[in-house]
Amino acid sequence: MLIAIWGDELSAWVAAAELARTGNEVLLQQSTPSESSHRAEPGLMESLATGMAAGRIRLCHHQEAVQAPWHWLASHPADISQAETLCHQLRRQGPDNLVLINQSNFGIGASDRLHALLDHARQQSLVCLPDTLQQGQALQQFATPETLLVGCEETDARLRLRALLRPFSLRLQQIQWMSRREAEFSKFAISGMLALRLGYINELANLADRLGVDIEVVRQGMSSDKRIGPHYLAPGCGFGGHHFTQYIEGLADILAEARHSTLLNTVLSENERQKELPFRKLWQHYRCDLQGRRIAIWGCAFKPGVASVDNAPSLRVIRALLAQGAQVQVHDPEALPALQNALGRVAGLSLHQDPYHAARETDALLLLTEWPQYSSPDYARLLRSMQTPLIVDGRNLFEPDYLRQLGFTYYGVGR
Amino acid sequence: MDKQRAWQQLEQLSASESTLHLRDLLQVEDRFSRFSFRQDELLLDLSRQRLTAATLTHLLQLADSCDLAGWIEALFTGERINHTENRAALHTALRLPANATLMHRGEELVAQVQTDLARMQRRVEQLHQGQWRGFSGEPIDTLVNVGVGGSDLGPMMVCQALDSFQPAQARRITTHFISSMDGSQISGLLDQLDPARTLFVIASKSFSTADTLANAATALDWLVRASGLPPELLSRHHFIAVTANAARAEAWGIPMDNQLHFRDWVGGRYSLWSTIGLAIAVRIGMEGFRQLLDGAHRMDLHFRHTPFSHNLPVLLALTEVWNINFLGIHAHAILPYDGRLAHLPAYLEQLEMESNGKSVDRQGKRIDYHTCPVLWGEIGPNAQHAFYQLLHQGSEAVMCDFIVPARRYADQSDALQSQHRLTLANCLAQARVLALGDAAVDQSHATPWQRYRGNQPSTLILLDELTPASLGALIALYEHKVFVQSVIWNINPFDQWGVELGKRVAGELLDAIGTPARRDRFDVATEGVLDQLYRRWSDGEGHPC
Repeated sequence: MLIAIWGDELSAWVAAAELARTGNEVLLQQSTPSESSHRAEPGLMESLATGMAAGRIRLCHHQEAVQAPWHWLASHPADISQAETLCHQLRRQGPDNLVLINQSNFGIGASDRLHALLDHARQQSLVCLPDTLQQGQALQQFATPETLLVGCEETDARLRLRALLRPFSLRLQQIQWMSRREAEFSKFAISGMLALRLGYINELANLADRLGVDIEVVRQGMSSDKRIGPHYLAPGCGFGGHHFTQYIEGLADILAEARHSTLLNTVLSENERQKELPFRKLWQHYRCDLQGRRIAIWGCAFKPGVASVDNAPSLRVIRALLAQGAQVQVHDPEALPALQNALGRVAGLSLHQDPYHAARETDALLLLTEWPQYSSPDYARLLRSMQTPLIVDGRNLFEPDYLRQLGFTYYGVGR
Repeated sequence: MDKQRAWQQLEQLSASESTLHLRDLLQVEDRFSRFSFRQDELLLDLSRQRLTAATLTHLLQLADSCDLAGWIEALFTGERINHTENRAALHTALRLPANATLMHRGEELVAQVQTDLARMQRRVEQLHQGQWRGFSGEPIDTLVNVGVGGSDLGPMMVCQALDSFQPAQARRITTHFISSMDGSQISGLLDQLDPARTLFVIASKSFSTADTLANAATALDWLVRASGLPPELLSRHHFIAVTANAARAEAWGIPMDNQLHFRDWVGGRYSLWSTIGLAIAVRIGMEGFRQLLDGAHRMDLHFRHTPFSHNLPVLLALTEVWNINFLGIHAHAILPYDGRLAHLPAYLEQLEMESNGKSVDRQGKRIDYHTCPVLWGEIGPNAQHAFYQLLHQGSEAVMCDFIVPARRYADQSDALQSQHRLTLANCLAQARVLALGDAAVDQSHATPWQRYRGNQPSTLILLDELTPASLGALIALYEHKVFVQSVIWNINPFDQWGVELGKRVAGELLDAIGTPARRDRFDVATEGVLDQLYRRWSDGEGHPC
């Protein structure tokens, strides 16, 4: 099938790679993702290169792309007017029976508005397929989804979409068909629910800190309740990322506007506070004076497996430390270039390829991203090389009692 | 011409002009163009004042006879015109652009002022970036300005007036003002604040103001109890001193690095332009603060270099001198037709009455003419429902200042724009009725109680719009007006000895509160109340109840 890809979001590029891999002919408007964090998505660039080498992915002129029978749209939330222009063009120049699959986060009701711009007399229609990909494992998630939420209100389009997605249904247990508006709402609702869970467990962790309770024990207790389950219940120093935050901000705005509700805005602002938690623990430990202290940071990516620092806690923590006159030494297996890009060259900040170099001569080690390689470090080496053996574990990755036994001062989140 | 002669001529003129009524003066075709004056974004309309061309001529002669030009130069060049305290009054130096220079007693002042401002800017940016941290490590999001008089009224007035000029990064900081000695403001406020995120600005020129230090002590105590941390640590992270007395602030516990300074040549009621304006800079950003300074500076240049016949502060001052000394008007109402200027009357009460509320001249002689009138005010439209009755039909002659912006809500709803039109209509209507009285409309069937005498003079100040720059110009206009009047009255507007004695006596009385009254220590009235207090504090036997 001939499919034109529009937009520069991660899901646009993942769709291009995966659709080409399964034999479709894919038309692009640009040859590589603009955002470095998208280019760093594991396997993506290789897969795109393979598709291009095989001739199944090619660049083409806008005019040619408009005439394709399939269109895949994954644009930035701010680019809705370009999407409208595209729909106008598709109405005029696109073929009969055209299907436009919208994965952009334009807000609830946007898919209906775009659909209205198409030529329904010629059976042109828009399908809303909310983007559920997570950075770091996007290709695999696209290839083998377990469930799909699809906003599609035309029987013809439904049949054609089923055919297009057929190669990706190996593990598919269910396709939930619903209206476009319901599909958009569901995506928002899922993101909001996850954010609420994270906000709630962090709130509990901060309380546990004060009450001398270990939140990890409490969390296991909560998870064992079937109504609750284990997902999105890990306390830590806040969630970041680009995509997730965008959806929650979008939903928070809708709730604030339509209902004067502050529920999700509170979750968001508390999350911003939570990102600075490791800084606060350190600040309190050193009696409100970090001037001249040397601080190591392990992990600056917003989560393990990504090279991106979008909305990452590390940004806030590093800025806070530098503002207090501390020297900051950062290690991250993948996201150092992104960090350099986000902060520019600043005095007091150094980036290290080796985690033990970053920890050398430091007054504290802050763990902000739970990369697997940090889980069992050479503690003896750390004890030898750190000025003060103090660890602030922003992800509850380590075993507190063991570290204390070794001679570390340990602060976790809620333990 | 000597001053006595000029004064006598004005007295004669007032006798011959006493029968003039504003309803007749306002019949003259070109009156508005002859009696209104513009300086950049500000129009001073004196056409509803009981002035004639002759009055103005003689008033200008009076100004010349007092060597006003010489005094203005003395003000700007830093002569010690505050002679009772042996100081200059150089608030105008605070508003000079960074590239200017001004030598004063062997020191280059502009560089010093800019250094003080740069230190303030660093703190403002730190707050706006969320990088001033409290004891828990949370960013400060609440600023409490603790000060009284000039350390309170100016910053509070400007913060309220320019609230809509808050840049995005300033919105994270909420500002409160605490002044009253009795603790009623601070006790209510502290209940609502998070100690971990609150920063106190202790603003006191001398750092010995009892009211301010009492509030500061309460604030510190609150922080100690909330955090369990030692006071030294808390005063380092939750207090900034703004003062001209670094040593006293340091002795109180605020380290040098957390102090912002201004100099003894800045009077308290002229200090909002200095680092005392920290709360303003936090609210509207340093850029807005510099626009405020620039507006005032342009008024300074106008005042210093424009011939008196077109000089706004001079003309405003002389007009009021005419009202006070020759027409016998001793009450002055300040009536802003813009709710953002709600604190302007209180601010001007201090500026005018503390500056010129005096009756001993520069040579130490008691004077036999009136000086500063009683001044009060309120947001005009609200005052219409309160004291305008007295303005229109009372027995007192009152002069009024109407202050209103021409444009407002330009980019907002039609409903709000029509509210502004309604406000303008009311402002003009009140000025018109005060001036014309019954002649404003057909009053042929009015009862005696419905009659309006008119002939109450008023000034209208029309700002193009209320901005940091136009507000700066407006305040400078009043400052310089006050100065011109002090020159005519031959008094020192920059001291305030009249507020000292009460403080001293309060110090003596403090020990006597709650103890059995001793005779012959104070006066019978004071001793009587002391005795009543003692009885109500104890069971009469000396035991506390």
